[in-house]
Amino acid sequence: MNVSDTKLALPLVALFVAFFIAPLLVLLALSLHGDVAMKTWTLANYAKFFSDSFSTSILVDTLLLGVKATLVCLVFGFPIAWLCARAGARWQSVLLFLVILPILTSVVVRTFSWIVILGRQGVLNQIAMGLGLVNEPLKLLYTETGVVMVLAQVQMPLMVLPILTVLSRMDPNLADASRVLGAGEWRTLWKVTLPLSIPGIIAGCILTYSASITAFVTQSLIGGARLIYMPLNIYQQAVGANNWPFAAAISIIFMIAVIAVVAVLSAIARRSETHARA
Amino acid sequence: MTFRTTRRSLIKGIGTSALALAAPRLALAQAKTLVAATFPGTWNEADRQIIAPAFKQLTGASVTQSIVLGTDQVSRLVAAKGNKPPFDVAFFDAPQVIDAVRDGLIVEYPLTDSPAYKELLPSAQDKWGPKITSQVIGIGYNPNKIKTPPTSWDDLWDPKYKGRVGLTALNSQLGIAFIAELNRVKGGTDDNFDPAFKALRELLPNVGAVGANLGAFATLWQQEQIDIAPYNFNFVQTLKAKDVPVEFAIPTSGPVGWTTSLHLVANAAEPELAAKYIDLHLGAAIQEQMLKPPFDVIPTNSKVKLEGAITRSLAKTQDDLAKIRTLDWAKLNPQRGALIDRFNRDIKI
Repeated sequence: MNVSDTKLALPLVALFVAFFIAPLLVLLALSLHGDVAMKTWTLANYAKFFSDSFSTSILVDTLLLGVKATLVCLVFGFPIAWLCARAGARWQSVLLFLVILPILTSVVVRTFSWIVILGRQGVLNQIAMGLGLVNEPLKLLYTETGVVMVLAQVQMPLMVLPILTVLSRMDPNLADASRVLGAGEWRTLWKVTLPLSIPGIIAGCILTYSASITAFVTQSLIGGARLIYMPLNIYQQAVGANNWPFAAAISIIFMIAVIAVVAVLSAIARRSETHARA
Repeated sequence: MTFRTTRRSLIKGIGTSALALAAPRLALAQAKTLVAATFPGTWNEADRQIIAPAFKQLTGASVTQSIVLGTDQVSRLVAAKGNKPPFDVAFFDAPQVIDAVRDGLIVEYPLTDSPAYKELLPSAQDKWGPKITSQVIGIGYNPNKIKTPPTSWDDLWDPKYKGRVGLTALNSQLGIAFIAELNRVKGGTDDNFDPAFKALRELLPNVGAVGANLGAFATLWQQEQIDIAPYNFNFVQTLKAKDVPVEFAIPTSGPVGWTTSLHLVANAAEPELAAKYIDLHLGAAIQEQMLKPPFDVIPTNSKVKLEGAITRSLAKTQDDLAKIRTLDWAKLNPQRGALIDRFNRDIKI
């Protein structure tokens, strides 16, 4: 790319700077002040966050929630992507449509329908009690288990699509070669398919992780107010307590934490990509 | 197929798209629109079904609702300070009025231009914005599961309701009012909330769910996740009208309430329309309509006689309504942040 090519990107860069970088810098400035009118500079907001075990426990809980939701999503998402990649042409478009269908509805609608499914008299409990698996309705709503389940389903398209892309681009000769050399299906999957799809898996994990931990609607509707994660904390500090500088500090800390996790995952992806090409 | 972009075709393209973007605005410039804030639940439904058509008839302008809680409205107005506000009419509970006046977010209501203002009860008249209703909290319960109505706040602590009690987060008025009333009943003062939080910690084994917002809280009743909780009179009536099993009971310690008022926002885009909108809420005709089920909005116009669910649960006459205890918001407001923080620390799993 020569200089005149990069100049073509200038409008997009300008848009990015105006509507993303600039507000972010304002947020950073607000977090370093003691009051909304921005008269006194202080690091007290950050000190307040890190010295308080309650606040740091909220951050840790949120990061762990993301890990759990991503793992569950991966366990269910990889088989779905594998099925889609292996399906015949006609079935593939149907399956692809079913995978994308959730994204076409609002996340609020999807979350509310999960409330109906997971509730005490919801579909899940009626099936479980009807089959005699449990005597009392399971408590799934307002528990972390419920939140992980709903997050995994709501973010499923973000996991399936990247993996599907990588799997469908994989050279089918490799699987054939593995079979010719005597490996069974499971060995082929474990030794050939999985390592080659790591970039797709990592991409899916990055998207799912970022989406899960910032999913304010799902966390607060399914988790209730007792399961406090970072988005709810930021909202309550900003709007309920009207403490904008502290809320800004929490937002910056949260953003840095997410960026750190995503950077680590990207580094792993880059290393595995060179491995795959070799 | 290649496109030859000549200067002429480019100018034609830009001109047409500019015209296309401007056209809807040209057409709409004829009919004015007012943006007014309202609360979720009872009020946005009443505003949409009763007020909007009446307003259209009166002024020919339409009104767009902005459904936002009181505290959120204050945040948005503070964020927009100095620029055009996101709505022209603010819908506040008593505590927000104090903050709004102090921060210069609202202007005085033009009393002389408001014909219906004189008909208001003396307690409802206020130069910063007339009070259009009151809200009262008490105990909401599921009559299918709880056969005898609860009589006191202490019933929430009854072991037989283990896991069946609901609460709501403190960012809503309902939450703050419940904590303040609990504090008073347990012997605390506005400066000392220790009794309230001690009682809250004892309540935790009974708590089934804490709703993050009022919409989620209504869902708890519909899904029968909770059987008993502090709740607002008007929200109970709205849910009942939707065939959700919930009833309202006043505890023996008495009902607690606060007033709700409409205000003219500073730097409003349509101040005359906004004043007319507020005046519409004050008239006897409109208040009588809002009094009817399923809204059961408590009136403030002296000419309106109480009827229906209000007389059964709350008060027989306007004088009885005036006797409902209120809270000292001037003292509670500055503590809101600290209360939310303390509440979160106690309830977090």
